[in-house]
Amino acid sequence: MHRYRPSLRLTEFNLLLITAAMTFVGSLMIFLVDKGTVAWTWQDVSVGLAAAAAMLLVNITFSLRGFRGDQILFPITATLAMLGMLMIQRLSPDLEAIGAIEFSLSARHLMYLAIGLVGMWLIVMLSGPLRVAEWLPRYKYLWLIGTLALQALAMVIGTEVGGARLWIQVGPIQVQPSEISKITLVIFLAAYLDEKRDLLKESWQVGRLKLPPIPYLLPMGIMWGVSLLLLVALNDLGPALLFFGIFVVMLYLATGSRLYVVVFGLSFLAACWLAWTFFSRIEIRVNNWLDPFWDPYGFGYQPVQSDYALSAGGLFGTGLGQGHPAFISQVQTDYIFSAFGEELGLLGALALIALYFSWVLRSFIISIRAQEGFAQLLVGGLAASLGLQTIIIIGGVTRLIPLTGITLPFVSYGGSSLVTNLGVVGIILYFSSRPRRI
Amino acid sequence: MSNAIRTLFLLGAIGLIGFGLFIGDDLSDARWLALLGGAFLCLLLATRIPLAAGMPTFNRGLIRTTMLLACIFILLSAQLIRIQVVRQEEIYYRTGIALDGEVISNPRLYQQQLTVQRGKILDRNGVVLADTTLQDGIYYRSWPVPSTYSVTGYYSPNAYGMTGIEATFEEELSGQAGTNPIEQTIRSLFGREQAGADVEMTIDSDLQTLAYNAMGNNHGAIVLLDIKTGETLVLASKPTVNPNSLYVVSDSTDANAYWDTIANDEANRPFVTRSTMGLYTPGSTFKTVSAGIAINEGIANPDTIYEDNGQITIDGRVLVEQNRPDQSRDQWSLREAIMWSLNVVMAQVGLEIGGDTYWEYGPKLGYDTPIPYDLPVYESQIASNRAFLDSQNALADTGFGQGQIQMTPLHLAMLASMWANDGTMVKPILVSKVTAADGSVLFQAKPQVWLQCVDPATANDVKDMMIDVIETGSAQHGQAYPYTIGGKTGTAELGDGTTNSLFIGFIGDPEPRYAIAVVLESDPDISAVATARDILVAAMNRRDGD
Repeated sequence: MHRYRPSLRLTEFNLLLITAAMTFVGSLMIFLVDKGTVAWTWQDVSVGLAAAAAMLLVNITFSLRGFRGDQILFPITATLAMLGMLMIQRLSPDLEAIGAIEFSLSARHLMYLAIGLVGMWLIVMLSGPLRVAEWLPRYKYLWLIGTLALQALAMVIGTEVGGARLWIQVGPIQVQPSEISKITLVIFLAAYLDEKRDLLKESWQVGRLKLPPIPYLLPMGIMWGVSLLLLVALNDLGPALLFFGIFVVMLYLATGSRLYVVVFGLSFLAACWLAWTFFSRIEIRVNNWLDPFWDPYGFGYQPVQSDYALSAGGLFGTGLGQGHPAFISQVQTDYIFSAFGEELGLLGALALIALYFSWVLRSFIISIRAQEGFAQLLVGGLAASLGLQTIIIIGGVTRLIPLTGITLPFVSYGGSSLVTNLGVVGIILYFSSRPRRI
Repeated sequence: MSNAIRTLFLLGAIGLIGFGLFIGDDLSDARWLALLGGAFLCLLLATRIPLAAGMPTFNRGLIRTTMLLACIFILLSAQLIRIQVVRQEEIYYRTGIALDGEVISNPRLYQQQLTVQRGKILDRNGVVLADTTLQDGIYYRSWPVPSTYSVTGYYSPNAYGMTGIEATFEEELSGQAGTNPIEQTIRSLFGREQAGADVEMTIDSDLQTLAYNAMGNNHGAIVLLDIKTGETLVLASKPTVNPNSLYVVSDSTDANAYWDTIANDEANRPFVTRSTMGLYTPGSTFKTVSAGIAINEGIANPDTIYEDNGQITIDGRVLVEQNRPDQSRDQWSLREAIMWSLNVVMAQVGLEIGGDTYWEYGPKLGYDTPIPYDLPVYESQIASNRAFLDSQNALADTGFGQGQIQMTPLHLAMLASMWANDGTMVKPILVSKVTAADGSVLFQAKPQVWLQCVDPATANDVKDMMIDVIETGSAQHGQAYPYTIGGKTGTAELGDGTTNSLFIGFIGDPEPRYAIAVVLESDPDISAVATARDILVAAMNRRDGD
């Protein structure tokens, strides 16, 4: 049983203490600003304290179980998750007050956070005994089929929200299949590319012609087609853009070939242009991007309000709980970054961006240190996917690119997103604990 | 690629972003996006660090991907700097017009105005004319004194904007004025709420209410000025707009209904604040101006004799005199012409003065000139253009106050004050002091000479003639012993057959103290002279009481 010999995870613990302090101060501030007083009791910040305690509990149980994985990634994740939790806590009463939601967001978000943490913990602890690293690549076509099936499901029985089919209703809860298929896609690509990477580097000899290895690229082509299909059928650019980004990055990581990047990138741009020409929804998004004031009370309402919110923040922000981010509809999901911009200012927004970059950087370091090619591609792909997701949504909110409905990892309200992204952290943490390559 | 070239590309990227930050207002301005694109390429080239030849494919790819992501994150940061710092104000205050014509602006502007403790508006004795009280975390503003509605104006940031002192001193009342950038930074850093400054006016709300009530159901204006300092003690105007009815916190149904009523009230036009925006034909009150110009130019003196046998023919038009107290007399002095308001004499004076001299005196007396005041004042005129005064009949009409002359009640009061003040027109004062929430004084009014209109001797001649009007002339019901009152009545016919009743004058003991202008519209059922007398006496009594 010496595998379970406790090992102190002091670095992680110390970093988490900072996160815990931030959570405590943040939840205290939300309470005080809301009540307009300086009198408080420990009970008023119990939610924040409980969440911070849960984070520390993860660290302590990791230590007790002798987990030897990376000690930096989880504190970064925890900080982002705590920031998200604080913002949801802060937005929930405002959104209830204006009748934008019928239930308490904060309670649900806490539940999703708990589920996500437990899921992450189980993945870290059980992946070893269950030999996940062995069967994940083995059943790679299962993941491909899973990815396609999930998307097909969304297409067939998906609920339409705001013109896009992104959700599947399962009993009382809504599941966003693109969040899950994002992971299955990365698993499939990691397994497939790891197996075929040498073949992909070769060229395909047809008579005298030297062509790219088209037979081995065929599954890639299928994926590319699926991405386009997503774009058309789900009527949304967000997941399509993300899938495509994942696809190109992983192809590049596996083969090092810039040609693929250029070819697929150009083809995607062409597809975007076609979509813009033929689908009114995409056209609206482009109009909103270039000038949301074209319809300030209609389609442009969200981006206009988001601009107002971000500019209200200025350098230092209004302070947590002291701005008016609830003017933006759906601020808790797509536009949560604007709420941070308003209340924490430019400095807070830049800090948030820095946290995401740190997260990606740490995950990349873990992937470089990983033992097998599959693990490298898996961790690198997962990290890149979250990085891309962050860029797509922040770029959209700040009108650097057209907005596409997608969540801000760890921070946005939404069970599917929070649980799956914490699951991603679990996978990366597990692979960081596997013996290093000599 | 060498380090030097990469550094150059980095500097290029910084330059492009730095340059672009200041181009255009919008976030997705095409030039800005193009410059960002250029900066992105520069950044990509700048971060193309050489990698060891033997490095595994995966590691190479990962490093390149990291660089790519870093470059994109830099672009995101640049965009944030644009929104939140460089173009912050433009974006924050940006307004747009919806497809259906509705205007959109930052809802935070309204929110702030409802959550900031707006300063009070006070009268000269500290009586609160506009107050803000806190109820359930929202500030409610109220205006308790109806007679001062026309001065304070209304304040309705989330519906109808603002007017009056509320608009003129918006920055002070909302607490934005008097704060330097450092203070503002500290405020935003600590989220401190700003409190508004209090605005103190020279208005005496008791006198103002007296004047307002004295007007009864008649429309018009009463203005009372301190002759020496120019302080406005009364600036009454009827009808008024009730600011309490336009203040909206959440439900705007009642306010909208009230707005629709007053906005469509063409007969009464309550939005025209008569005291400062009402333009009236001064009628015979302008005879003081004609007499004053004539004396100042040496054309006449108070004892110069004019012929008035009951009518005069000018350029073929017969002008009939109705005001002679003695129908058998044909010779009248200028003094008597003022005392009895003789139109035939003043028509001759007007002709003697001539168009050039009238036009020259206009700006000297405050016509066609913006009057410096704490409220918007419409410009008075002697004629709409110089050419009008070329006609003989126009000059005759102007001589006794008809023609194209238009004056605001405020200007009329300033004119009366000038005659009693050695020909000096002082700058009228309405707001005496603005005090910030921390007690510091942001503004303090000082008495100032605005125009030296005529020689002191001329002014004294006119003053004496105005006293004669009350003592022995046409307006003897204006007397109020022991005080000395001087003045001049006026009537002006309107297009609809009704007449406006006017009076300008002053009171002293006997040194002149207060000047007044009373304008009552459309056949008023009260006497302008008696109303003026009562208010002048009340003002003196209050002064003596102090």
